Amino acid sequence: MHLTRRELLHYFGATAATGLLGPGCIGWTREEAIPVDSWHKSVCRFCGSGCETRVGLRAGKVVKVEGLQEGWNRGRLCIKGLLNREILYVSDRAHYPMVRKNGQLERVSWDEALDAAAAGFREAMAQGGPDAVAFYGSGQLFTQESYTANKLFKGGLGTNNVDGNPRLCMASAAFGYKSVFGADEPSGCYDDIEHATLFFVIGANMAECHPVVWERVRDRLRTEPQARVIVVDPRRTPTARDATLHLQIRPGTDVALLNAMAYELLRTGLVDPAFINDFVTFRRGTADSPPLTLEDFRAFLEDYAPEKVANLCGLSSAEIREAARLFGISQAALSFWTMGLNQQTHGVAANRMMMALHLLTGQIGRPGTGPFSLTGQTNAGGGVRDTGSLAHALPAGRVVTKAHDRQDMERLWGLPEGRISPNPGLSAVPLFEAMREGRVRAALVMATNPARSLPNADRYRVGMEKAFLVVSDSIFPTDTARYADVFLPAAMWAEKEGVLSQSERRYHLVEKLVEPPGEARSDLDILVALGERLGHGALLKARTPEAVWDEWRRVSAGTTYDFSGMTYARLKALPGLTWPCPTEQHPGTCRRYVPGEDPLAKKEGRIDFYARPDGRAVVYLSEQGPFRESLTSDYPMTLTTGRRLEHWHTATLTGRIAQLKGIDIDYLEIHPGDAAVMGVKEGELVQVTSARGTVRLKALPSMRVRPGVVFALMHSMEHLVNAATSDYLDPTSAQPEYKLAAVRVERVKEGT
Amino acid sequence: MSAWSVWAMATPEPPHGATLGGALEVVALGCIGVAVLGLLLVEFVFKSRMARSTYRWTLLLGLFVLPGVALLGTTGHMFESMKTVEACQSCHVMNPFVGDMHDPRSATLAARHYRSGAIPDKQCYACHTGYGIFGTVEAKRDGLRHWLLYVTDTWKEPITYKGTYPNANCLACHATAPIFTRVDSHKALGTQLANDEMSCFTCHGLPHPARPTRASTRVTASQ
Ligand code: SF4
Repeated sequence: MHLTRRELLHYFGATAATGLLGPGCIGWTREEAIPVDSWHKSVCRFCGSGCETRVGLRAGKVVKVEGLQEGWNRGRLCIKGLLNREILYVSDRAHYPMVRKNGQLERVSWDEALDAAAAGFREAMAQGGPDAVAFYGSGQLFTQESYTANKLFKGGLGTNNVDGNPRLCMASAAFGYKSVFGADEPSGCYDDIEHATLFFVIGANMAECHPVVWERVRDRLRTEPQARVIVVDPRRTPTARDATLHLQIRPGTDVALLNAMAYELLRTGLVDPAFINDFVTFRRGTADSPPLTLEDFRAFLEDYAPEKVANLCGLSSAEIREAARLFGISQAALSFWTMGLNQQTHGVAANRMMMALHLLTGQIGRPGTGPFSLTGQTNAGGGVRDTGSLAHALPAGRVVTKAHDRQDMERLWGLPEGRISPNPGLSAVPLFEAMREGRVRAALVMATNPARSLPNADRYRVGMEKAFLVVSDSIFPTDTARYADVFLPAAMWAEKEGVLSQSERRYHLVEKLVEPPGEARSDLDILVALGERLGHGALLKARTPEAVWDEWRRVSAGTTYDFSGMTYARLKALPGLTWPCPTEQHPGTCRRYVPGEDPLAKKEGRIDFYARPDGRAVVYLSEQGPFRESLTSDYPMTLTTGRRLEHWHTATLTGRIAQLKGIDIDYLEIHPGDAAVMGVKEGELVQVTSARGTVRLKALPSMRVRPGVVFALMHSMEHLVNAATSDYLDPTSAQPEYKLAAVRVERVKEGT
Repeated sequence: MSAWSVWAMATPEPPHGATLGGALEVVALGCIGVAVLGLLLVEFVFKSRMARSTYRWTLLLGLFVLPGVALLGTTGHMFESMKTVEACQSCHVMNPFVGDMHDPRSATLAARHYRSGAIPDKQCYACHTGYGIFGTVEAKRDGLRHWLLYVTDTWKEPITYKGTYPNANCLACHATAPIFTRVDSHKALGTQLANDEMSCFTCHGLPHPARPTRASTRVTASQ
């Protein structure tokens, strides 16, 4: 081809212009690593942080999950949040209903399975009355589902045997709030983090268990050099790494520590006398006991001077004094806690004392202040605590023991007067004990795995074996499903629609985005179908998630929970809304009890504890009390349990995610000094024995734990850590003491 | 005080140490100076005393070779100086981002990296350009597109990062740091992170203010 010089220059010019201005430049953008057809707003399926997400769909499948920039989490998620996209497609999803025949679970039709379930329940009630049946639910069910189950069992079947796994994690906090403020759930919100100058974290490993909330705390630390962190934890957790002061307390002595801090605050005058005078009463035991005075409280605390409790707590008195000083001088103190405080036989007392520190110092109701318990599950707060799906409770703060509350619910549910039993039902652990003893003959277990998550689990597995068990879950098999007489496959997360609520009382809508696998159905559909067969179809008039939500909104109206302004349309449009929210124009409440912020706080002044009859919050004189299980020469060490970042609870879901299979969960952290005395090296098998049972794990000598304390994860799928944990209960909340068990640790000799 | 010292105080302190952009600028200016001076001297002073061939060679040098080198120098200087934060900020679309980066109260990744001095200068460029020649070409192509949208006032609010941000830009510095390697989540997600199927930002926070909290990138009449 012959080109003149002029032609060549023309070609050069044209090529350059096309390259610059053509698709190579203007139309060019970077590619998506995972192409997405459409994005949808949703919420993480896992912990009680409740991170807001956007979910990417492609060809009818969830292919991507990201943090929502508009959400409180500002686009962040933790590894579990990211892996929401995997959980729908893990192996072992349950596809078909099954009924036990000749000892084996066999695939049947839905009709046959539901008929068998209803027949089992009818038979149990015929033999033992309504209290021979029970519902054991979960903080992972949607609000509509827990509400409907509660209504079916308490209003329809006439038993208050409705409880669930939130009893194992949040009951002490719920009882603590109710007894101190007259109403459950924290008073503040996550926005307080940006105003706090002291973070007091006790019994919470937030960096691993509520990582996105903790990142927000760390953002505050990054930008406010004056902010301080106190972490109280027997382990040197990743959270403790960020601490200004880490109090490596002896497990189970939190009440003594908090009392000592109260003593020190009063001694040094770092309290708020005006707040105490105007808004606080002192009592002992129960909220309606005779009021005491500040002087009574001072006298009571004499036994808790830092020097007197330092040995018990395993701390120095100087450390306790410094913690009290930092708390007292802080401009805005925000405390966080979770299972470390709740899962003790002193759980309620510890909760009450944590709240008391805020009341004594007036560190509540201002931006950046307040006691703030974090929930462990997606919907333990909204779904179970708010809807009253616990054995003692009724929806929106009502309780079964109060005639007025029962009548209220009977009216709202269209029931004849006297239908709801005045007797509290069986809470989690006594419920499974009753199955063991044959008093409870049939139970419906939904979205939880008690055979693995109950303390002293082996004991209660016997009860599950004995009772007629209907299990609804999205995974098969789980340890609990192995005991099922009827197994019902459930849809999960984005395969069904419903409302979730997280730690700051924020309600979120999860929309149905994809179809469930096989024949799986939503738990709401399952409850309605079972209710129909048990003759209570008329009671369950609301059958769609939206209809149930509207009914539940009406039930909340006029109560201290009032969220009647949270319409479905608003939940669809907004990332989430915090209650109280009584009107459709209300933007949601961040700080409860604060006149001007909380629409229910009508009085003038700093604060209005409107849920208490006298408008005053209660500071309790709370004894540390003896340990339920003392260390002896047979059981000289303390076992405590917890979680790690990458896995969640019994690992039913996370244990099936391919990426997480390499993450070790079967180890026992032991102080290197203790390991040396036992002659145990890293990776060697050790046997942990309590008075209840044993578990074998690999030893991991680690400075994270105190001498004399060993730590295991609750996740292990191979080893049942809960064979050894303690099923002693807090006398008020009936929450078991997972955090404290006397054990013996021995090296396992080869071949044994 | 002399006029010289006033001028010296008013000018910003030069960056410490030599920069490539600065060196290219000096080369270009030197070439122009030498060419102009040389041509004047050759034409008006030395022409009559020079051999004809030497005269032609000096003209070639002064009129073509030195301007050519100067052109290369100025282009290189442009390429280099366009990498600075100030160059990015010269489009005020970038103001909310650069402003946040300089904000000592901001917790975004950009601000934290800036404060820590981890990337001393050219931070926008360092994080927004892939490695190697293709990274530079892509960045220039992006830059030209942004410039066209800017001068034609056709960009859409809120501006968004198109496509998937390459984790390689983060990993280039972090991948071998113990603080990165000891985290089990990083090991578990190694493949996804390498393939950009999961983003570092998801866990570690947004590099810039979230869209809802960001100021408008368009300067309105009232501003
Ligand atoms: S912090 Fe909790 S809610 Fe947020 S992404 Fe992680 S598991 Fe999900």
